[in-house]
Amino acid sequence: MKKYKLSFVTASVYALLLLMIGSWASIIIGEKASLSLLFTEKNLFYASKFFKGLLGINEESPAYLNAENWKNALDLTIETLVMSVMATGFATIAALLTVVPAARNVADGSLTLAKKWHGWLSFGVVRGGYIFSRAVPELVWAMIIIFIFKPGILPGAIALALHNFGILGKLFAEVIEDLDSRPVRNLSSSGAGRFQLFLYGVLPAALPRFLTYILYRWEVIMRTTIVVGFVGAGGLGQQFKLSMSFFHYTDITLLLFFYLLLVFAADYISEKARIFIK
Amino acid sequence: MDKRWLNFELHKRKILTLILLLAFMLSLFFVEWHSNLIHSGGFITAKQIAAAFFTPDLSGDILLLALESSWTTLSYAAAGMSLVIIIAFFFGIFASGILVSEGKIKRYIRPLFRGQLGIMRAIHELVWAWLFVASIGLSSFAAIFALAIPYGGILGRIFADMLEDIPREPIKALEAAGASKIQALWYGYLPMVRASITSYAMYRFECAIRSSAIMSFVGIGGLGYQIQLSLDDLHYDEVWTFVFFLIALVLIIDLWSNQLRKRLVQ
Amino acid sequence: MQEAISITQISKSYERKIALSSLSFTVNKGELVALIGPSGAGKTTLLNLLAAILPPSQGHILIDRQPLSELMDHKKRAKKIGIIRQQFDLVGELPVIHNVLAGRLSEWGIFKSILSMLVPQDKEYAVQALIRVGLTDKLYEKTSSLSGGEQQRVALARLLVQSPEIVLADEPVASLDPARAEDVLELLVKIALEENQTLIASLHSVEYARKYFDRLIALKDGEIFFDLPASSVTDDHINSLYRLKELS
Repeated sequence: MKKYKLSFVTASVYALLLLMIGSWASIIIGEKASLSLLFTEKNLFYASKFFKGLLGINEESPAYLNAENWKNALDLTIETLVMSVMATGFATIAALLTVVPAARNVADGSLTLAKKWHGWLSFGVVRGGYIFSRAVPELVWAMIIIFIFKPGILPGAIALALHNFGILGKLFAEVIEDLDSRPVRNLSSSGAGRFQLFLYGVLPAALPRFLTYILYRWEVIMRTTIVVGFVGAGGLGQQFKLSMSFFHYTDITLLLFFYLLLVFAADYISEKARIFIK
Repeated sequence: MDKRWLNFELHKRKILTLILLLAFMLSLFFVEWHSNLIHSGGFITAKQIAAAFFTPDLSGDILLLALESSWTTLSYAAAGMSLVIIIAFFFGIFASGILVSEGKIKRYIRPLFRGQLGIMRAIHELVWAWLFVASIGLSSFAAIFALAIPYGGILGRIFADMLEDIPREPIKALEAAGASKIQALWYGYLPMVRASITSYAMYRFECAIRSSAIMSFVGIGGLGYQIQLSLDDLHYDEVWTFVFFLIALVLIIDLWSNQLRKRLVQ
Repeated sequence: MQEAISITQISKSYERKIALSSLSFTVNKGELVALIGPSGAGKTTLLNLLAAILPPSQGHILIDRQPLSELMDHKKRAKKIGIIRQQFDLVGELPVIHNVLAGRLSEWGIFKSILSMLVPQDKEYAVQALIRVGLTDKLYEKTSSLSGGEQQRVALARLLVQSPEIVLADEPVASLDPARAEDVLELLVKIALEENQTLIASLHSVEYARKYFDRLIALKDGEIFFDLPASSVTDDHINSLYRLKELS
C-alpha cells in the first residue's frame, strides 16, 4: 500500500513536469513564439510609448487632471462596487437554497437521522450543477448572458453570480460535511423538524465559516468585476475597454487607480469583518 | 427584555449577516427593474441557448477543433503555472521572512515582498494581459506572463502564510542541532508545508485553466476563443461543445488534485 | 406497576457482527435502571434501539404498550423519550438559553423558531430549568465557554424543558472528572424521581450504578449477563462480569 501511495505522488510530479515542458515546447515551436522577438527595438518603442501614454507625458489634457473624468470614474467605481455586492448576494442566496441536499452527510442521513430515498439523487443533481457552474469562467458566462440582457450592471452581476454560485455551494457543502453531527442528532431526538435542525443545529455552527467564505469570494469578485465589464457588463471594465480602443491611455491610468482602490478597500473591509466575527 | 440578552458578543455574527444583507438589498435599488433590461429577443435567445445545451454539436470537425483548443488552453495554463511556481517559491520565502533573523532587515524585507505580492494579485490576469498586449503587442508570452503575475502573487502569499504558520519547535530543534537557515528550510519548513501547498497549487492549476481559456480576449487561441467565435456566429450548439470540453478539462484536474491530496495527507 | 418499556427477543446485528442477541426484559414506570458491562457489550446499541435511532434486526419494542415502530412522528416521540449523551450534544456556538429552549422545538412551529432566535420565546421554561440544575446565571453565555460539567447540566435543563416520560442516558458522565460526574449523576437521578420519569442509563462505573439506581442490567457479548435489584448485586457478580474471557 505504501509503495503504491508513493508511486502515485511521484508519478504525478513527473506527469506535471512533462506537461509543463510539453506545453512550453508546443507554444514555442507550434506557435513560433520567441522570447528574443519580444525585446526588439520596435517593441521597446511601443512599450515606452504606452507607458508614457499611461503617465500622460506629452499629453495636452491628461484625463486625471480633468474633474469631469474624475466624476465619471467615481460613478463607474460605485457602479462596480454595487455590481460586486449584488453578484455576491445572488451567489450566496442560490448557494444557501441548494446547499442542504448537497452535503454528503445529509444525503446519507447521518447528520439528521432521516434517510430519504431521493437523498443521493438530489445530492448528485445539485453537486453536478455546482461543478457546471464553477467550471465555466465568469467571462464566458458574461459572454452568454450579454446575449440575453442589455448591457449594464445586472448582466455583470448575474454572470459573476453564476460562476461563484458553484464555488460557494461547494464550500458551504463542505462546511456542513465537517460539522459535528452529535448536536444536530440530539436536536432531532428532542423533536426538532428539518427546518428547525437547520436553524438551530447547522446554521449556528456553520455561519462563521459561511460568512468567511462569502467575504473571501467578495474579494475575488471585486477583482473580476472589471473583466466582465469587457464584454459590456457595465462598470469600470466597460469604460476600460472603450478607452483602450480609443487609445485614451490617461483614462486607463485613472480607471486602474480606482480599480486598485476598490480591490484594496474590499480586501481591507473583508479582513476587518472576518476578525470582527472571530 | 433581559439586559444580558443585548450583550454585543452574542450577536456579532447576526449583526454582520444583517449588514451584508442590507448592503445586498441596497445594491438592488441601483438597477431599474423593468422589462427593458432584456433584449427584445432576449427570451427567445435564452430558450435557444438553453435548448442547444442538450444538443451540442458533436460533429467530427468540431470535436477535433475542441480537442486542439483544449490542448492550447491546457498548455498555456501549464506553462503559466511553471512560472507561477518559481515566482511563488522565491517571493514566498522572502515574504515569510524565515531566511533572515529577527531584526532590522526582516522588518523591511517582509513588508516589501508582501506588498509586492499584494500588487501582483490585485490586478486581474486579463487586465495584466491587456496591459502587456498594449505595451509589447500580441504574443504568447504576454498571455503567459499575464497569467503568471497574479497567480504568483496569490500562491506566493499563501506559501508565505503557510511557512509562517507552521509550529516553531521542530525548526528550533533543527537549528539547535546546527542546521543553517537554508538547511532548516530544506529539512524543516518545506517538508512540513509540502502537502498543503501542493494541494493549493493544484487548485490554482484548475483556476489557471479557466483563466487561460479567457485569454482569448487578448488574441490567444484556445477554448475561450472558440466559444467567442461560435457565439458571434450564433452557433449555440458549438458553444456548448466547447464549454463541455472546458468543464471536462477542469474536472480532470480537480479529480487529479483530489487523489493527490488524499495521498499526501495520509 | 405500569409497564413503561417492554422488549421481547430483540436482536441486532451489523454486517457481520452480532451486537445484541435475543434480549427480553420489561421496565416499569418510574424505575431507575443502570446498564453495565464491559465496552462493546451492546449497551449503546440497546439505547439506540430504544431511542428508535436504529431499527432492531428482530424482535419488538413496546413503549407504553405501543410498538415503538409505530411512534414514527419524532415530535410525538420526543414527548415520550428523551436522550442525554456525553457533553458533545449541545450546539456550542449558541448561547445556553437556546440550547435549553431546544427542548421546546417539538412544540414550536417554524415562525416561532425563527422568532426565538431573535428574541427567546417561552423564556420562563429555560429560567426554571436552569434554576433546578443550578446554573441560573449562565443563561446568556456561549455554551462552548462552559465547563464539561456545566454543559451536562445544560443538557439536563434541556431535558427538563422537553419533559419526556422516559430518559435514556448513554454514558452521561463518561467525559467528566469523578467529582463532577457524581454531581451530574445525582442531579439526573433526582430529576427523574421528581418528574416521575423512567430512567435507563448506561454507565462505566459499577459503583455509581449500585449507589444511585434501583436495578442493574448487566450486558456481556450482546446478552443479558444478569438483571438484578441493585441491593442484591454482589462483588462476585461484578467480578465475573468484567473478567476477561478465559483462554480455553
